[in-house]
Amino acid sequence: MSIIAVSNIKGGVGKTATAVNLAYLSAVDGINTLLCDMDSQGSASYYFRIRPKKKFNTKKFLKGGKHIDRNIRGTDYPGLDLLPADFSFRNIDIALDGLKKSTQRIGKILVPLRREYGCIFLDCPPNVTLLSENIFHAADIILIPLIPTTLSILALKKLLGFLGKMNYRRFKVMVFFSMVEKRKKMHVEMMQRISKDHRILPIAIPYLADVEKMGVYRQPVTAARPGSVATTAYQNLWTEIRKHLER
Amino acid sequence: MQKENSNTWFLPETISSDHLIKEISKQFSVQIKPQQKTTVTYFDTFDWRLYRKNHLFYRVNQFWKLLRCDSGEVVTTFCEMNFSPRRFAWEFPASPMKTLLKSTLGVRGLLSLVVFETLSICVRILNTDEKTVAYIHVKTQKVKADNKIFRTVRLEGVQGYESSARKLGQFLHRCGITDPAPPVYLFKEGVSAIGRLPLDYSSKFSIELKPTLSTRQAARAIFGQLLDTMRQNEAGIREDIDSEFLHDFRVAIRRTRSGLTQLKGVLPPKITETMKNELAYLGRITGPTRDLDVYLLYEENYLSRLPGVLREGLAGFFTEMTDRRYREREKMIDALQSPRYRKIISGWQAYLDGDDGDEPSRHSERPVYESARKIIYRRYRRIMKKGGAIGPSSPDEDLHRLRIQCKKLRYSLEFFSSLFSPEEIARVIKQLKGLQTNLGDFNDLSVQQDMLQDYLSTIGPGSDKEIELAAAIGGLLTNLHHEQKDVRNRFVATFGKFSGSKNSKLFSKLFG
Repeated sequence: MSIIAVSNIKGGVGKTATAVNLAYLSAVDGINTLLCDMDSQGSASYYFRIRPKKKFNTKKFLKGGKHIDRNIRGTDYPGLDLLPADFSFRNIDIALDGLKKSTQRIGKILVPLRREYGCIFLDCPPNVTLLSENIFHAADIILIPLIPTTLSILALKKLLGFLGKMNYRRFKVMVFFSMVEKRKKMHVEMMQRISKDHRILPIAIPYLADVEKMGVYRQPVTAARPGSVATTAYQNLWTEIRKHLER
Repeated sequence: MQKENSNTWFLPETISSDHLIKEISKQFSVQIKPQQKTTVTYFDTFDWRLYRKNHLFYRVNQFWKLLRCDSGEVVTTFCEMNFSPRRFAWEFPASPMKTLLKSTLGVRGLLSLVVFETLSICVRILNTDEKTVAYIHVKTQKVKADNKIFRTVRLEGVQGYESSARKLGQFLHRCGITDPAPPVYLFKEGVSAIGRLPLDYSSKFSIELKPTLSTRQAARAIFGQLLDTMRQNEAGIREDIDSEFLHDFRVAIRRTRSGLTQLKGVLPPKITETMKNELAYLGRITGPTRDLDVYLLYEENYLSRLPGVLREGLAGFFTEMTDRRYREREKMIDALQSPRYRKIISGWQAYLDGDDGDEPSRHSERPVYESARKIIYRRYRRIMKKGGAIGPSSPDEDLHRLRIQCKKLRYSLEFFSSLFSPEEIARVIKQLKGLQTNLGDFNDLSVQQDMLQDYLSTIGPGSDKEIELAAAIGGLLTNLHHEQKDVRNRFVATFGKFSGSKNSKLFSKLFG
């Protein structure tokens, strides 16, 4: 029963690709898995060819319970379900702000789902808002994809600083390198420089065309190309996370 | 929740699978996956513990699945990449499935009862986004044991796309696919191929006797059923599937011996004498293995009685018990394959099957109802007398004797229960059970202490290992001794409950 949030302040760092592929690998391992698409852009939903039902929106989502159950949809893979994002999720912060205990709402919504699913992945929108705070509150692991560039590291520091200030530190922060290009000198240097931090996993997902093509196949690359370099990279990442989950 | 029952139908003989798939493709946008060959293996214990609890348990590909028999609802699944054969609940990795199996199977092992060789074609039904919204599985399932073939169609919905599944269901109905094929039906068919029937074995004794039967006729029926039980367990003992086969075998021996003693003057004296001797022999040759089975089953219990520091010492004890059991079992198996054993069984069978031509004996012609009341009431009164005389300072021996008396009473109640009102018999047995538990616990604890003391005396002075072992045994002895004292202290209250006026009125009403 673990909740894994994939988050970063920056956009375009591979959050959705990570959430989609890890959720798939988790289901393949026989763990009943749910992927919650929290990003109003709905990219994770798109990858699985799932559209939200017409009546689903932020209001229904925040009500939780049966409103969530009704809107969870099965993917094409056994053991993997998805809660699609609605475009109205873009205003979720405003809706949260008006509620009591506004930082703990999502955690509450997820409680009944924890019983049903062995693993819940949350694909977060790129920023740190009230929604993110809710998600951090609920999560067991906060997984941060990091492109090894100066600005990304700056953003990471800000995020870590924010997480550090949250005094309920029940979650574990795990950072891994994403979209790494070995031929770029800066990537290599940056990776070396910060690799000593204990929160950084010794895992690098390379920048690969196969991952980008997920938008064309509309399948996780781990499902569409089981033997590919991309799949191996995600598998290594998943193995590393499982080690922590089993502890 | 997934359901595997309400949406599986037989494919009518008039429809070929190819034709059905063609018809589906005309109506829906589909993707057809190549035909797959799988093996589905159903498991249960010899005495149907899963089926009794309304469960079907099977393995397909890397999945273990547990369904409800009646609704076909999936209770829990467990995925295991590499197949490893598992027999006992404790051999499964920690999971909700393990917990469920542990509470259901107890010490019994799983048998693979039915194997289906299945050819299946999966048709995915797609929407305009090419998202799968439902599956249709067209299957040909062959029972491995007798090559019987079942063709089925299963409709599997996808959560959140219920309307598509509904439409498909209606379509199949229009095609004439309406005859439901629940998994439990296929399971039963498969089971019959190996010559069994669900619930055809239970370790509980039950027999329907007509009150008008003569006591000898009833005795033949009772002993006949007990002999069946012995024979049914022979194969499981030989294959060493779990410890219950031998246990049930021995209980059937004990019941028969007790019956022979209690039904005095019912069978010809010569038969009674011979069988008493022969059954005592069977008890002797199977005893040592059963004792060791019991000690080995204590492992978890013993470890939990000891503090962490002493636990390691016990490892040597259980290794030795395992070795001893191996040797004793070899001897027992030899004896069970000997001409003497075969002669005992076939002779007894021949006598019980024979017609009633042999000459009557003292009580053989008395109606069974009368004999039953006499036998039960006599035993009951004896228990009341002996039990009432037991006080705090009575020797342990008295409790042991009372235990045997209670057991005899229990056996005769079970032999003749069909002659009395079921509710009242149930009440009587429930009361007796409470007393038997107390006496049984007391006896188990003293047998264990005797065994451990004997074992302790064989440990010579020597290495650290032996010291650790002796310390662990010493710890256990202390712990068992304390528990035995508690059990003994509870005896008076337990017996008081049994001998209460309500219960004694019931006894005299039924049997007096």
